[in-house]
Amino acid sequence: MFWLSLVFKSAWSRKYALSLVGLSVCLSVIVLLGVQQIRVDAKHSFSNALSGVDLVVGPRGSQTDLLLYSVFQLGTPTQNIPYADFQRIHQMDAVAWTIPIQLGDSFDGFPVMGTSVDFFKHYRSSGKPLVFQAGQAFQVPQNDSTSLLQVVVGAELAQTKKLKLNDEFALTHGYQAIAETTHTEHPFKLVGILKPTGTPIDRSVLISLEAFEALHMGWGFGLRPSAFDTKSELKSNLPSVEELQPNELTAVWVGLKNRTSVFSVRKAIESMKPTVASVPLMAVLPGVALDELWQIVKVVENALVLLGILVAVCSLLGVVSVLLVGLSARRKELAIYRSLGAGPALIFVVVTLESFLVCVVAIAAGVLGTQALIFVLQDFLLQGYGIQTRHGWPVYEAWVSIGLLLVCALVSSLLPAWRAYRMSLTDGLNPPN
Amino acid sequence: MTALALALNKIEFSWSKQLTPLFAIDSLNLPQGKTLFIGGPSGCGKSSLLSLITGIQVAKQGTCCVLGVALNELSSSQRDRFRGERLGLIFQQFNLLPFLTVQENIELPSKLFSSRLSRSTQLFGSVQRHTDILCDALHLSHNLRQRQAHLLSVGEQQRVAAARALLGCPELIVADEPTSALDEENKVDFLNLLLTTAKAQNSSVVTVSHDMRIANQFDQQFLMPRTESNHVLA
Repeated sequence: MFWLSLVFKSAWSRKYALSLVGLSVCLSVIVLLGVQQIRVDAKHSFSNALSGVDLVVGPRGSQTDLLLYSVFQLGTPTQNIPYADFQRIHQMDAVAWTIPIQLGDSFDGFPVMGTSVDFFKHYRSSGKPLVFQAGQAFQVPQNDSTSLLQVVVGAELAQTKKLKLNDEFALTHGYQAIAETTHTEHPFKLVGILKPTGTPIDRSVLISLEAFEALHMGWGFGLRPSAFDTKSELKSNLPSVEELQPNELTAVWVGLKNRTSVFSVRKAIESMKPTVASVPLMAVLPGVALDELWQIVKVVENALVLLGILVAVCSLLGVVSVLLVGLSARRKELAIYRSLGAGPALIFVVVTLESFLVCVVAIAAGVLGTQALIFVLQDFLLQGYGIQTRHGWPVYEAWVSIGLLLVCALVSSLLPAWRAYRMSLTDGLNPPN
Repeated sequence: MTALALALNKIEFSWSKQLTPLFAIDSLNLPQGKTLFIGGPSGCGKSSLLSLITGIQVAKQGTCCVLGVALNELSSSQRDRFRGERLGLIFQQFNLLPFLTVQENIELPSKLFSSRLSRSTQLFGSVQRHTDILCDALHLSHNLRQRQAHLLSVGEQQRVAAARALLGCPELIVADEPTSALDEENKVDFLNLLLTTAKAQNSSVVTVSHDMRIANQFDQQFLMPRTESNHVLA
């Protein structure tokens, strides 16, 4: 204990130099742990986007592609599935609920998702139901035909576009907002703004399937009806709700009554006999598809972690070099320890303890700094990047890194300690002036 | 028979790659409670001799008995412990740990070795009391004791170093050029204080210096031999 206090006082007397190297270690730990934490949180955010969904059904093809475009709105679907197939899936005994998904339009770059009110009932983010920060879900058009052009938006979109309830805006056919592709004739009224979920829903515009259908009546080849109208008259009267039965869907999210039946339901869906107009279906287990996705992005993940490790190692080497340089100036201090009865082995331990303590304090500060930074930036990360971060106790991967960093710190502490040991052997009581 | 604080017999010392010995001492004895001056020009091996006496180095030949213990029979760690428990050391300069206060510097030996602590406690009641007595004897004021060591003058540092060496009443005080950083007036004062305080504790003192003018203040004087010759001056 006496030596520990002596080490602390000695280190404190060189607090400026040591705090600088400590700061560099602290920052590098923040980089390393921050990358890891955000990586894990991003994965959680991806998983949370499909929390409670047992199967994602779409046209047969790549399951990663289906997941990316139907859930994360990344990429574009090349094929749709018939609405009739959705109804057949919905009627299966093992199926508890279904959420139809129709994509293809946008609002100023934000994806528009046609769905049913069941979406608001059954969708879960991190296991929690959707909550509105203002307004409510759009009405079922069949119940109230005047509610057809109602829209709900995610939190990030509302904030970015500064939208408020009862605002009216037009959606764009496809993803390029030009005059010929904008549904200006049918502006939508904002009836609900969701709270942040940390999922792609935060960036989405949600409308009913009937509204989605209504927007596309008469459209062809991505162009508005006027492009085909020789009289150039705008067809602005909406058809009745009964006429707006969708023909196709991009995907269907399925929730089961009992999860154990997931493989049998998948088999049943994939074995459904396609009609003349339809395509064979594929039912994807979100977890399996996400694992495939992680395999694809693993290289980038690993590169980021490797970068963090390199930064941390460089900082630890910085501590070692500063302590090594400082040793020359501390030869007299070591000689005094020797005169007081400290052997070279004890001096080895003392110097190891000192540099290890500097690293431990810096690493601890880095751990706390990471959590503090994530706490401060959590809203920014959620709003700006859709990453739902968790602050508090570091994740398992972070503890592994912290453990490895401590081992590296201990090993690197041995270098100045060994030098001090050699010095105290040769210098004895007579260090050079 | 008087116990010997120091007994060197047919000592030869050389560094590891040295072919001829740096010095050879046939015989050098110092009775307990007496003071010894070891003189000689720079480079004659005075500091190396102190390394032998303090157990940092071991003689290749001969025996070096300090306080009745043959140091060459002890292991390295035993010699370190022996030095800490039974010797008090004073250097030419840089004696103190600059990041500690005067009080903390003086108390260091009692923190490191319980034998030093218990001797102070037995003889003076407590370490604090012993520190007070030493500080008073060495003219270290009360205000000075809470000051950081690096804020002291060289003379003050030397007196604090002497107090530290004397705490716990070690039987032998070893000083390496203790006055070379001091001016003439302070040199004599410091030596008087050191020798008087050591005598009061019955501690022997071995001092190495190239300054022959202080030699007559010691009970015995010894001039470092030039390789083969050695002789006791008094």
